[in-house]
Amino acid sequence: MSSTEYAVTGLTCGHCVAAVTEELCALPGVHKVEVALIPNAISTMTVTSDAPLTDLAVSAALDEAGSYALA
Amino acid sequence: MTILDAPPAPVELAIAGMTCASCAARVEKKLNRLPGVEATVNYATEKATVQLFGQTPPNSLIPAIEAAGYTATVIDTHRTDRAGEAGGHDSDERLALARRLIVTAALAVPVIVISMTDALHVAGWQWLTLVLATPVATWSAWPFHRAAAINIRHRATTMDTLISLGVLISYLWSVWAILSDGPATYLEITAALTLFILAGRYLEARARFRSGAALRALLDLGAADVAILRNGVEVRVPVEQLRVGSEFVVRPGEAFATDGTVIEGSSSVDASLLTGESVPVEVAAGDEVTGATVNLTGLIRVRASRVGADTQLAQIGRLVEQAQSGKAAVQRLADRVSAIFVPIVLVLAFLTLIGWTLTGHGGAAAISAAVAVLIIACPCALGLATPTALLVGTGRGAQLGVLIRGPQVLEAAHRIDTIVLDKTGTVTSGRMRVHEVIASPGIDERELLRVAGAVEFASAHPIAKAIAAAAARASTQQNGQLPTVTDAADAGGLGVTGVVEGRTVVIGRRHWLAAHWAMPQPSELIEAADDAERAGRTAVWVGWHATIAGVIVVADTVRESSAEAVRQFRALGLEPLLLTGDNAAAAATVARTVGIERVTADVLPVQKAEVVAELRRAGRSVAMVGDGINDAAALAGADLGIAIGGGSDMAIEAADLTLIRADLLAAVDAIRLSRATLRIIKQNLFWAFAYNGAAIPLAALGLLNPMIAGAAMAFSSVFVVTNSLRVRNFR
Repeated sequence: MSSTEYAVTGLTCGHCVAAVTEELCALPGVHKVEVALIPNAISTMTVTSDAPLTDLAVSAALDEAGSYALA
Repeated sequence: MTILDAPPAPVELAIAGMTCASCAARVEKKLNRLPGVEATVNYATEKATVQLFGQTPPNSLIPAIEAAGYTATVIDTHRTDRAGEAGGHDSDERLALARRLIVTAALAVPVIVISMTDALHVAGWQWLTLVLATPVATWSAWPFHRAAAINIRHRATTMDTLISLGVLISYLWSVWAILSDGPATYLEITAALTLFILAGRYLEARARFRSGAALRALLDLGAADVAILRNGVEVRVPVEQLRVGSEFVVRPGEAFATDGTVIEGSSSVDASLLTGESVPVEVAAGDEVTGATVNLTGLIRVRASRVGADTQLAQIGRLVEQAQSGKAAVQRLADRVSAIFVPIVLVLAFLTLIGWTLTGHGGAAAISAAVAVLIIACPCALGLATPTALLVGTGRGAQLGVLIRGPQVLEAAHRIDTIVLDKTGTVTSGRMRVHEVIASPGIDERELLRVAGAVEFASAHPIAKAIAAAAARASTQQNGQLPTVTDAADAGGLGVTGVVEGRTVVIGRRHWLAAHWAMPQPSELIEAADDAERAGRTAVWVGWHATIAGVIVVADTVRESSAEAVRQFRALGLEPLLLTGDNAAAAATVARTVGIERVTADVLPVQKAEVVAELRRAGRSVAMVGDGINDAAALAGADLGIAIGGGSDMAIEAADLTLIRADLLAAVDAIRLSRATLRIIKQNLFWAFAYNGAAIPLAALGLLNPMIAGAAMAFSSVFVVTNSLRVRNFR
């Protein structure tokens, strides 16, 4: 089990949080996604998963959710 | 082309619940994942445009959007419905707020009256107020509780936190007091606080709605239908049915429905909305025309080259959207104050609790004093401070011809230190007028104008109209009439001819008169014409009897009030800057006339926004005044965008402030009014907090009673409302 914090840009509201959470939870092995929203700045996202995720997988999921990216 | 080949017209959906540009991107992605769907979502207009291929019914789109957490309805593409839809969403919210306010007033007013009138304190009165106040504390104040809960999760305290805290604590304390037969209840605070804040929210929604309605009234929704040619027959169809390759007919006075190439006919085109250039462009077969520009003189046939999202207009629209979504929402002033005030109050309440406990007064007295601190700290007038001033401010603005978008505009108007002025249509009127008449030796200037005016009288070209108008004005002064013209003919973009009093008069471009009519040109006239053209003016040559009779110089005129407005901008502490797509010489002439020192000329429409962004990066807070489509992105990207009414719809939609009067002095009024309103709001906030803040020490000492709490509430509210009314006297 591993838990990693990511800095994410582009989040502005609760909808964004919902979108990002939904896409990351869809990744295999992910149990929990928590986002501390800071609108129009860098928000912190904590992902708990079986094994560490590749940055590529996280970036892809963020992009799938909308116009978000790793900072 | 056959109609069967064309894909069906796109479906439009109204989307509700989107709160940021990212939401729009998300909805777009969800829609595009469906089979046979091609969708674009516009956050600003809250609309999705969906192109369906295959058999997907439009209604199948809605569940996909709802799964993403938004709601959607299919818009009937009929135009009148669309206009209604734009206002519908806003008024729904307003009506829900109004319902909540009415129910709350019916419950809260009896609570306040009974609580504060000793004569009504019959047996069991406290139970009656409790029954009435319970729905107020729960249902009525629910929006505040919910917002406060969301904020707490993000570790933020806003105005909602303060209100929710005040309502809940005063209510729960009163419940406990009634159950334990305690001394003082504060249900009137619960009731009044909720009622006042809801009233404030409603006033604000109303002010916003009114400005919105006024703006919608200004916007006509562009070319509705277009005369398309099908097998040589003209059919009027909605613009949405145009496809690349469609041929359509454009009459004089009509706007082009989309970008295209002229295939037949010639005309002059007013492209000033798009390019800022006031002199019309001549077009003939093979030339490109741009959607939204206006056909002035001739009937022409055009083949569409780009439609929908590919047109230049749509591209500029996307620039506007990007600029708007890049702008972070300004936090409400009341929220910023609350963010500091709430933690302080919590600390004070805690200190009160500790203080009373340490001085040996026992738990009950300590809790009672601490609760009193929390109750009194929440100012009822807080909710009225911004909305009442805004309502009066926008009302006064409407009288002055200024439409204010919302409270965030006021703060932007307060901060700005630089004002960027678009030249054409803003500093100048955008209309042609005769600037100078230069006659050849031996010819009377008045005679030249009179004859030229007669020939130009029949033409709809703006330059011709300017000459005809000047001639008509001059001849009325001499109690004369313009002579009649016979055999008038238009030589396309080159000029016109006509017979006046037996003379064949030729008016037009210099080279046409020299080459086609073999009229030798005197060098002093060439010099004068060159000077005029360097200064951005247009020289029109007039000749008869095979000789040049003179040159009439026509120019876009500077508005009379512009110089005075520039002086007043400086007095407000704003540095003016002239921005134009024209050449530097033309820009310098106008800048000198109105007294502007900084000029940025030769700017392409897409670069205007870049100039504004550049200034902002340099630490300037920028206001932009403009009227054209070419200004729209810059208006949206500026800290404060001011659109001149009578300009393009897109500029008005992109702007924060809209001036109904086409006059720069209205921009001065707008900025002064915004600043005055913000000043009143700040005073209101100060007094809203001050009356209640002053009562905090009393509460901490255990001296608070319902009388003092009620007085603080009443005084601060009355003060705030009367203070707001002062904006009415703004001039």
